[in-house]
Amino acid sequence: MLEQQLLNALTLGSVYALFALGFTLVFGVLAVINLSHGAVFMVGSYVALALITHLQASLWVAMLGAMLASGIVGLLVDMLILKPLRARNAPHLIPMIATIGVGIMLTSAAQGLFGAEVLRFPEETLPAGEFVIGDVHVRALEIAIVAIAFLLMAVLFVALKRTQLGRALRAIAESPKAAWLLGINVEGLFHITSFAAAALGGIAGVLIGLNFNAITPFMGQPMLHKGIAVIILGGMGDIRGALIGGLFLGFAEVISKAYLSSQMGDAVAFGLLFLILLVRPSGLFGRKLERKA
Amino acid sequence: MEWLTANFGDFWSTYSTLVFSVGVHAMLALSIWLTLSCGLLSLANAAFMGIGAYVSALLTLNLGWSFPAVLLAGGVAPAAVALLIGAPVLRLSGVYLAMATLAFGEVVRITVLNLEITGGPEGLNGIPLSTEGWHIALLLALTIYGLARLRRSKVGRAFEAIKEDEVAARLMGINVDRYKLLAFTLGGFIAGVAGALNAHFTFFISPREYGFENAVDILTMAVLGGVSDLIGPMLGAAILTLLPELLRSLHDFRSLVNGAVLVLVVLFLPKGIWEPRRIRAWFQRMIGGRA
Amino acid sequence: MRFLPKTLALVSALACAGLAQAADIKIGVAEALTGGAAQYGVSIRNGFQLAAEEINAKGGINGNKIQLVIEDEQGKKEEGINVFKKLIFQDKVLMVFGPTLSNSMFAAGPVANAAKTVVFGTSNTANGITDIGPYVFRNSVMESDVLPVTVATATKHYKLKKVAVIYGNDDAFTKSGYDVFKKVLEDQKLPVTTTETYVKGDVDFKAQLTKIKASNPDAVVCSCLAEEAANIMLQARGLGLKVPFIGGNGFNSPKLFEISKLAGEGTFVGSPWSNTNPAPVNKAFVAAYEKKFGGEPNQFAAQGYDALYIAAAALKDVKLTGDINADREALKNALPKATISGVTGPFKFRPAVTKNGKPGGWDADQKPFIYLVKGGKFTLYDAK
Repeated sequence: MLEQQLLNALTLGSVYALFALGFTLVFGVLAVINLSHGAVFMVGSYVALALITHLQASLWVAMLGAMLASGIVGLLVDMLILKPLRARNAPHLIPMIATIGVGIMLTSAAQGLFGAEVLRFPEETLPAGEFVIGDVHVRALEIAIVAIAFLLMAVLFVALKRTQLGRALRAIAESPKAAWLLGINVEGLFHITSFAAAALGGIAGVLIGLNFNAITPFMGQPMLHKGIAVIILGGMGDIRGALIGGLFLGFAEVISKAYLSSQMGDAVAFGLLFLILLVRPSGLFGRKLERKA
Repeated sequence: MEWLTANFGDFWSTYSTLVFSVGVHAMLALSIWLTLSCGLLSLANAAFMGIGAYVSALLTLNLGWSFPAVLLAGGVAPAAVALLIGAPVLRLSGVYLAMATLAFGEVVRITVLNLEITGGPEGLNGIPLSTEGWHIALLLALTIYGLARLRRSKVGRAFEAIKEDEVAARLMGINVDRYKLLAFTLGGFIAGVAGALNAHFTFFISPREYGFENAVDILTMAVLGGVSDLIGPMLGAAILTLLPELLRSLHDFRSLVNGAVLVLVVLFLPKGIWEPRRIRAWFQRMIGGRA
Repeated sequence: MRFLPKTLALVSALACAGLAQAADIKIGVAEALTGGAAQYGVSIRNGFQLAAEEINAKGGINGNKIQLVIEDEQGKKEEGINVFKKLIFQDKVLMVFGPTLSNSMFAAGPVANAAKTVVFGTSNTANGITDIGPYVFRNSVMESDVLPVTVATATKHYKLKKVAVIYGNDDAFTKSGYDVFKKVLEDQKLPVTTTETYVKGDVDFKAQLTKIKASNPDAVVCSCLAEEAANIMLQARGLGLKVPFIGGNGFNSPKLFEISKLAGEGTFVGSPWSNTNPAPVNKAFVAAYEKKFGGEPNQFAAQGYDALYIAAAALKDVKLTGDINADREALKNALPKATISGVTGPFKFRPAVTKNGKPGGWDADQKPFIYLVKGGKFTLYDAK
């Protein structure tokens, strides 16, 4: 039973990490808590579903389409909403509230278009395959999710560390003004980041949608709650932190469900978050942030 | 005349709950305004509202306390909790404080969900109708009066100083921690009273009403209205409460428009709808009097 | 989208009716048409619309046409109260159907009861709903009437020795279903190996199911809604947990097996309705619903459909005076005697047993069907 639970924790943690990657990227670069990320994630699921059921697209095409569609949503949000707010130097909370509005709009648009019922991918599109080792069962899809979460994290991490683009992004994360003075195209990079983060959200939506196969207009909301916990645990804006925080949360939840009581799952997640913040004010793995108001 | 009173009677029977909700939401928006005015982004107010609602409803249902006593207890209980968790939590700043208070709210919600006495997910039903219009009007007026007095007092100036620059305020000899704790606790009290009022005109409370969405809703009301003075949060509360009703004829597109309004206001009125300087200028032009 | 033309049609129908003949009977329908509960609310509304159309096509009730005034209560308690007040005081409807969730009923029900207006729930199964007062009716069968039969039948069929339990603990519907299961399992002396919970919005149940598998039960008792139940079944099979499931009211949706395919094989479900119920009235309903809405009906639609026929049966005996207060009172007195043989089987009301002994409302008095899932389909269980 322990082996199976550890595996459950690993997949759940990877799911959280996958979701949190884009979420934390936006915060790291734009310093905005993008509360529409849950809705963008949902958009990814629906776009893939629509491509598969209406256009008989293959899974790969659907995934690409979902990434593109979500990315464009993210880009539009940045260009139409976040950019004017930046230009106006709006107070910290304002962009966050704008993204709440975007989330509401996307959710109700999805409900208008697809209805409130749970929709599913047709069974034949789901990658079959199951491995049984002793008493441990694992599906191919779960292995794929774990692998993709780790892979994306690694790619992003290396891109940020090693490439010109990454250095520019890190410069912006330190100080947008200084980066601008250095001749970095700050606005352009904000757009790219928003696109990439939303595209990541979209692909998370497809993968998680495939894995649990339950797509609703509201599927992003519980994910968003957990996502917040993950990026706090991992340190806000930290790419590695998203993975570490996700895994940490996944393990904490599964272990508490398995060995304490399943009623404790969420209480443990948020209680832990609360306690950790009290002990380490910038998250478990976050570096000390000394940004005073 | 008779026609008018008859129609008003219908109007009031139909919309009294809506008017009550505007009043309660105004109190909630003011409660978060208080912490914001001290530079604290606390999202615990939905949880404080919930604690107030549950404590008051339980006292009414189980012990039969009188309504004023119940309201007071509904305010005191969350204030006590705020006092307890305030010291460690308020060391956090900015986004981290927001997230810690959100997490606290989730813990409260899950606790209520799993307790026997609170009725778990089924909540508490059969709460008698005790709240009347004038209760809400009176308590809202008291809150406004109290907060207006506070703003102009030494405490209010200390809040302002902390909000502008915490380090400087500390250097000036202001006991920052104590003032922050005061704002947090008072905010909890107001939210708790609002919760108690709400519980006694909706017949029923359940843990679902005090979660993440509600915490964000309360914040949205304040920020949408504008936080530069007391009128903004109340205006925001009124708009966000009435908007869905006004949009009722849009049916399926109601929440779409609701979201769009939120985005548009934020985009074009970045300081909130109520921006005293702009409004005052307009007001003076209109009547030439005081604002 | 499909709402607007319908409203227009109703308005013009009303305008004509005003000139031509006796007044329409205005009936309020308050359901969650947006928000998380919309998946139930929309089905219920469809059931009402279908029934109203059929009744009106056959000439209405004593020559009076039914006019539905449909409002969205969003599954929120304040909205429930607001909508009820609008329907009762402004639109002056004769009675109100809804709201969708038990929670909203606890908030809005007292408003209707205080206004001496019949409120008729079609999907509120929680205990205590009909404690609200004598104007409260429901045709939603309570779990306490269904589950004892289901559990006893399954125990006998599978010769169960011990079972595991899983339920949603943040939802009034699944939690009260669990409370009933718990009592039934105690009464029938069936030991429970482990009790697991999840919360709304959860999609990953593997931690709980792994624990259940390790406890080695003969069956899994599940108080869940169909959407979650499907995932629970699929994930259970994925983990190699092969025992049958026993479900409550929430299982009863064609969706369940559309999704879980053969994972739900052998499941026992007790329910007031199933799409495979062979009664002619049900076959006609399923066909008409599919024609009108382009999808299979579910239990929520069926109960909404039946509810309007129950009200219509009562209204046949009510002489409408045009004095709204008198008519509401007359309906309240006539409704308890109404009986029909509907798509959910023979139906009649029985007086609610309230906690404090005060006069309460009226509950459904209906016998549940017990279904066994075979080949991905609900089949009426034959004990032989």
